[in-house]
Amino acid sequence: MGLLEDKARARLFYKYLSKVYDRINPFVWNEAMRDEALEWLDVQAGDRVLDVGCGTGFGTEGLLQYTDDVHGLDQSVHQMEKAFEKFGKRDRVHFYRGDAERLPFADDSFDAVWSSGSIEYWPEPVEGLREIRRVAKPGATVLVVGPDYPNSKLMRKVADAIMLFYDAEGADRMFEAAGYEEFEHHIQQAKPGSPKAITTVATVPEE
Amino acid sequence: MKESLLDIVCCPLDKEDLELDATEREDGEVIAGTLTCTECGEVYPIEDGIPNLLPPDMREEEEAAA
Repeated sequence: MGLLEDKARARLFYKYLSKVYDRINPFVWNEAMRDEALEWLDVQAGDRVLDVGCGTGFGTEGLLQYTDDVHGLDQSVHQMEKAFEKFGKRDRVHFYRGDAERLPFADDSFDAVWSSGSIEYWPEPVEGLREIRRVAKPGATVLVVGPDYPNSKLMRKVADAIMLFYDAEGADRMFEAAGYEEFEHHIQQAKPGSPKAITTVATVPEE
Repeated sequence: MKESLLDIVCCPLDKEDLELDATEREDGEVIAGTLTCTECGEVYPIEDGIPNLLPPDMREEEEAAA
């Protein structure tokens, strides 16, 4: 199956999903975990920040606690409807529809880039990470939250069938291939036994 | 969208500048209009104030699916 067909399928899947659910969250991602991740991103007041795959705006809401200059991009307007309800369509957040793997922003546009719960749906995650590096300024911090590879056999089967999961080694490979030199991973978990998130904090290399 | 965002938005395909043609404005925001790539000529719509900068292949699929 070609890339385009995969992408078309992914979109139909989201469209359906957003009607039933808020988008499957393969890991448990709560406010405490988000706030911890926000501390790692360390956004300063006035920084221009991009939220890639902002969806319903859960990450966006956290970013707004740090700066007023927040930009949210998602391919699906259905997903964003909830974010519009929270922040208004053109009030506190600049929204765009776009593809994470072909970002519609000029080089070095952002002081920081955040993406949570989105990478597992990208057909070519390295492309997306490379694009994030391009639109972030040299020295900027990039934070990506994805699902850690599940331990249970059943969950692994479900996971592999519909989306991307990766462990720290997988994350190393993706971030290196996308041109990052400095990064670290944090495993985040709501409580013992719940599905884990893997959060990577990377620095955009100086060019 | 705010017109000042033209400084950071670009064509998702070739990353070249976009030219704004606003057909409706309200309180300093562009509500409707188009963004056209100054290099490849691809046209991106602004829908209810939100620029739709999906690459054309993704936009077309969606129209076909709708």
